[in-house]
Amino acid sequence: MAYQLYRNTALGNSLQVILLQFDKAMNSALAQTVRNRVNFRSFLNTYRSCDYLWSFVLNGVEFREVTELNKADEAKIVACDDKNIGSNTTE
Amino acid sequence: MASAPRPERAPRLPALCLTRYPPLPLPTTVGFLSMEEEETYLELYLNQCAAQDGLAPLRSPLFSPVVPYDMYMLNASNPETAFNSNPEVKETPGGFSSVDLSFLPDELTQEDKEQPVIGSKHETEENSESQSQQSRLPSPSKHDIGLGLNSPSLSNPHSQQHPTDSVQASPEKPESNSLPLASITPMTPVTSVSECCGIVPQLQNIVSTVNLACKLDLKKIALHAKNAEYNPKRFAAVIMRIREPRTTALIFSSGKMVCTGARSEEQSRLAARKYARVVQKLGFPARFLDFKIQNMVGSCDVKFPIRLEGLVLTHQQFSSYEPELFPGLIYRMVKPRIVLLIFVSGKVVLTGAKERSEICEAFENIYPILKGLKKA
Repeated sequence: MAYQLYRNTALGNSLQVILLQFDKAMNSALAQTVRNRVNFRSFLNTYRSCDYLWSFVLNGVEFREVTELNKADEAKIVACDDKNIGSNTTE
Repeated sequence: MASAPRPERAPRLPALCLTRYPPLPLPTTVGFLSMEEEETYLELYLNQCAAQDGLAPLRSPLFSPVVPYDMYMLNASNPETAFNSNPEVKETPGGFSSVDLSFLPDELTQEDKEQPVIGSKHETEENSESQSQQSRLPSPSKHDIGLGLNSPSLSNPHSQQHPTDSVQASPEKPESNSLPLASITPMTPVTSVSECCGIVPQLQNIVSTVNLACKLDLKKIALHAKNAEYNPKRFAAVIMRIREPRTTALIFSSGKMVCTGARSEEQSRLAARKYARVVQKLGFPARFLDFKIQNMVGSCDVKFPIRLEGLVLTHQQFSSYEPELFPGLIYRMVKPRIVLLIFVSGKVVLTGAKERSEICEAFENIYPILKGLKKA
């Protein structure tokens, strides 16, 4: 709906530069700064690996941290296999 | 069709009975003998053999009692068995000393086939009673029958009897001499050994291949199919798994596929078909050509420890044993062409088979050898 037509403007360009800086900052923070450890255990519904990208669909998953326990009926894990390892989860 | 000559034969029976056997109740019904009657004849024959123990060389006791017995069996046997020597046998009662009886071992074993289970049970009973040294010749063929029961066609073991007789007679003889149970009847020292063990190797893994007959886009398959891995830099195939039957498949871009992990031939074929259906649902014109089982692996336990050093001494041309490299002895059997891994504990792994019968046959061949090499 909204046109990305105005990205190639001074304002747009500087904002894009910041997005790139944001990517780098996120990667380094997750790699260096974050020290939490989460264990999870569940039934694996499906897995897939293509182009060094792993994705899993879990059913009945329990994420266990020292402090707390989070449960979910379904979880999708997307994991990249690279120097900078990152993952996102969605419930 | 045997009922016509039957009344002719019947009057002769008592005469021959009196000369050879204890009195025998005549079959009252015209037609084929029942199983119980056949058993009685078998028992009588065995008693006869026991009576003649030690009096005659190896072959001759085989001939004389067998001939009239043979006549009874001919009437009772199934038409399917190759009793081509029927006319010859009809002549024998007159003067069987002059007749060429070299065909007899075949017929004996054919009779064995008619009553495989019952006959062998009787034999094991007779074995314990009598001590006949004779006729190892039919025994290997009964061994074949044991195999024949496993394999779908009865005719194959029968046709292979003579060639395998000489091969199997010699290895079987020394073993059966040592076993009191096995040393007796013309019927089955070997079967009694294989029946004693009663162990059947269990299939653990089957590898098969099939051609889907169309070029495949592996990236598309890996992206859309569930439970798939594709790493072209590491290996040029998609690795897919299914849960039922629990198997793994390697799918190549040429359309060829390898299916591993199934526990039976049917499961392997079913799994391969499931993979083909997955590929088909992704839009490829997959077919199912040339399904072939390439390898079968079985394992079993003989339940006693084995002297592997003894085995490598006696069978050095087949065995390879390096305990520092691998704790199991690698026995490469020539016929059938199977590799066995034999361990001190008594566990045996058999591999390299294309058919289930090869695994069973290989184990039947190795079991008497292992039994002779029991530890302590």
